[in-house]
Amino acid sequence: MRRIARYVAVALIVGLALTLTLAFRRDPHDIRTGTVGKPAPAFALPSLTDGSTISLDQYKGKVVVLNFWASWCIPCKEENPALTDVWERYRGTDVVLLGIVFQDSVEAARDYTARLGNTWPSVIDADGRVALSYGVFGPPETYFVGTDGIIAGRHIGPIDEPTLITGIETLRQSATR
Amino acid sequence: MSTTRWVIVAALLAIGLALAWSARSGPLTAEQRVDRISAELRCPVCQGLSVRDSPSDTARSMRALVAQRVAEGRTDDEIRAEFQRSYGDWILLEPPLVSPTGLVWLAPLAAITLGAWLAVRRSRAPAPAVDAPTDEQTRRLREQVASEPE
Repeated sequence: MRRIARYVAVALIVGLALTLTLAFRRDPHDIRTGTVGKPAPAFALPSLTDGSTISLDQYKGKVVVLNFWASWCIPCKEENPALTDVWERYRGTDVVLLGIVFQDSVEAARDYTARLGNTWPSVIDADGRVALSYGVFGPPETYFVGTDGIIAGRHIGPIDEPTLITGIETLRQSATR
Repeated sequence: MSTTRWVIVAALLAIGLALAWSARSGPLTAEQRVDRISAELRCPVCQGLSVRDSPSDTARSMRALVAQRVAEGRTDDEIRAEFQRSYGDWILLEPPLVSPTGLVWLAPLAAITLGAWLAVRRSRAPAPAVDAPTDEQTRRLREQVASEPE
């Protein structure tokens, strides 16, 4: 009986160590729960620049990078250069970068994009419903949507250029297969 | 049983039924349902606060969505499921029993059961046998006692 208890104790310790090892290996920005692996929730929201409707459906068959941001969000400013570089790199290709303004006023968001010189499209999620449907915690958050319309990845917090490019290229390669 | 006792039992039963009837909850109003569902949902931008108790913009958006879904005639389960689809089981302040988070409920029960089993086993175990002192040990002990001042 004592031997069995010893085996059980060893198994519990090994199990705990294994769980912790696997948990700490994961990137805390890459949250897999919620909407990842599921179809991207559809939306049709007014454009920040002219109020015309932009819907996710119109980008069907393209790799879509959705970036939730706000003018009051400091980490959003941190990631802005990376977004600018990626926008310039993929402009006019099968990759779409779309900003979604989160809990912010239209005036403040317009002023922010003008100040930073952002030229990629953004839409206004005035009542926060789209953010809720994607499971957003707070800005900045970035979602990678594949050509099949499935959310392939999600990044919480400021994103850098290599992470953006890796996410985009992985989806482009899987689309050509 | 005498007639008097039957009357007392019947009276107590009647009082119990009357109390249960008066304490029953009637159908909830839409506002009460919104309140109840909001109290079960975790505010994603707060520390352990429910959507009902949080003043944050996100919680307000969530509460407004709950109110809209209630007005649309969705059931409580459907409304909870909508938030679970976006945020996972984490969004519920009380994780469901039948899911990977069920371990949260089962682990303490398993630990208590294991502890009780070990305690019972130990209490039933025979006391360790103690050898009788040798003559030499007895003699030394007597000498020691005798030499101690009274």
